[in-house]
Amino acid sequence: MKLTRRSFLKTSAVALGVPTIIPASALGRDGAVAPSNRIVVGGIGLGPRGREVLKSFLNQKDVQFVMIADVQKARREVVRVMANRQYNNQDCQETGEMFDVLGRKDVDAVLIATGDRWHAVASILAAKAGKDIYCEKPCSMTVRESQELADAINRYGRVFQAGTQRRNVDNFQFAARLARTGKLGRIQTVHAGILTLQESHKWLPAEPEPAKDVVDWDRWLGPAPWRPFNKEYINGRWRNYYDFHGGAALPEWGAHTVDLCQWGASADDTVPVEYEAEGQTIHARYANGVKMVMRLSGFKGEGDWVVPGTCPVRFEGDEGWVEAADTGKVAVANPKLLEGGAPAEMAGTDPAKHVREFLDCVKSRAKPAANADVTRRGHIVSHVAAIGWRLGRKVRFDAVKEVFLDDAEANRMCTRARRAPWHA
Amino acid sequence: MKPIRSLLLVSALFALPAVASAAAAKKAAAEAIPKLPPMSEAQALAVLNSDAGVQEKARACQELGNYAGPKSVSALAALLDHEHLGDYARSGLEGIKDDSAGKALRDALPRLQGRQLAGAINSIGVRRDSAAVAELQKLALDTKRGAAAEAVASLGLIGNADAAKALQQVLASGPADVRTPAAHAALVAAEHLAKAGNAAAARKLLDAVTKALPSSFVAETARKQAAALKGR
Repeated sequence: MKLTRRSFLKTSAVALGVPTIIPASALGRDGAVAPSNRIVVGGIGLGPRGREVLKSFLNQKDVQFVMIADVQKARREVVRVMANRQYNNQDCQETGEMFDVLGRKDVDAVLIATGDRWHAVASILAAKAGKDIYCEKPCSMTVRESQELADAINRYGRVFQAGTQRRNVDNFQFAARLARTGKLGRIQTVHAGILTLQESHKWLPAEPEPAKDVVDWDRWLGPAPWRPFNKEYINGRWRNYYDFHGGAALPEWGAHTVDLCQWGASADDTVPVEYEAEGQTIHARYANGVKMVMRLSGFKGEGDWVVPGTCPVRFEGDEGWVEAADTGKVAVANPKLLEGGAPAEMAGTDPAKHVREFLDCVKSRAKPAANADVTRRGHIVSHVAAIGWRLGRKVRFDAVKEVFLDDAEANRMCTRARRAPWHA
Repeated sequence: MKPIRSLLLVSALFALPAVASAAAAKKAAAEAIPKLPPMSEAQALAVLNSDAGVQEKARACQELGNYAGPKSVSALAALLDHEHLGDYARSGLEGIKDDSAGKALRDALPRLQGRQLAGAINSIGVRRDSAAVAELQKLALDTKRGAAAEAVASLGLIGNADAAKALQQVLASGPADVRTPAAHAALVAAEHLAKAGNAAAARKLLDAVTKALPSSFVAETARKQAAALKGR
């Protein structure tokens, strides 16, 4: 029999034959949430960013984090200790097997922060298991995975929130609101900050594989193609390798900034239909003529952005513009646009409000801001733009059928074979 | 944020020409990992037919996935049972639309085992190869070859009337541990059928799911999917 907190309390009280003192907090008094109203959460693959997001989950009184699955022993131990410290008990369990989390009937939702190669497949497996999902970005490696992920979430009626938390950060919300409510006039161009486009096919030198219980390399690779172990990969330096980092690194920030541009352009239900790369800048155009420019930004303030900070976006209408970035600041063309007050300054990387919205939606079954459909299209834009960049030519894309027009080579780049036995 | 102060700052910054940005972009581009020049199909095939290492052959397979035609099929198919290159070979074969690639995958099924067998089955599903339905049905009912879950998943991806019938059989009388993956596959197949205008077949398949696993989450999903098809 699986031991649960509830069955433990029941059986231990009978066995001991003495009155059991149950803390008021466990019953929902003292401002705590009763167990029956708590959302039980498990984690899958929580490295540094995953643990930042986990903090926001642990800070919620209506969350009980019960189990961490990670293929790296050191990482799962850190998470287990974090949770146990938060709850002042030893209840959080750890495992190297994600199916231990997905198989638990008491788990309502999962936080997935593995690495891009796993995000879609793990999310689809979680949806099949009936779990709601908060998944770090980028959520897909390819156009096809973006479609498969959204289809699975909709098929199983799950609540899905991509870790594109800027949809719930004040200054970005403020900027999008100006654009969407006509305060900037008719939107002409939206600008998304992106990192340097690149993809390496190199393999790092082979090193001896650690014991499976320490690092399960086969499971770390998951659906990604095989290559020999090297500790650099598992220490977070897997980015910019084609096999692990989809879309030539464009979705790394594009998952946020392109997504915000989609929002600002009131285009969450479509995608641009033309893309042309000019060096590291990609010019895209929607069917209605609105332009999207994906251009360099970076950790060192690259690019000619007005507002300093990572992940900048800029929305330009025929009557004004607004710009926002991770510093929490906004800049506007006209002081009148700030009438009513500027937004509160909140770091763009802060997931607190985004996590809270996800949890509220788990309860209400409403769609959160970064739901599967929004994520599908935002990610597709990033992948399509990257394919155009890789091919070095203008590409045209059917926004309804989600295929390239008259370009077989580009269409073949919309998918990658997954390493067996993994499939969606 | 203090609006007046920030606006002044903004005004000053906004007046700057875009020269600085161009320089920054140029610098960043120079630091980027350069794009590898794409190989021609002949070059990639030459790598596969040489004594090049696993890494070089893996790269060649991926390149071929982007543009190769029928003449690359045999070289890729020959790698399907390779421990490490099998999946890379599949990335090549999945991209080749010509039926010779599908035939190569189907022909490989009897000889492949374990992960390599699972991988070939997955690729057949991705290719939505309707010619493979009968073989997939056999694999779905075969408890010894260990690829039943992949076989039903691929039947779901193919999602035509024959695949639906095969899934119905697995749901009704297949091995107990294959019924849940078959039910999930049936949901996918039902979507394909409905999209193709065959709502009746979709409903029948969804009904098979609810009968096979009546009190499960997947059956609950099937009921909702069937309800959405009412009137179609």
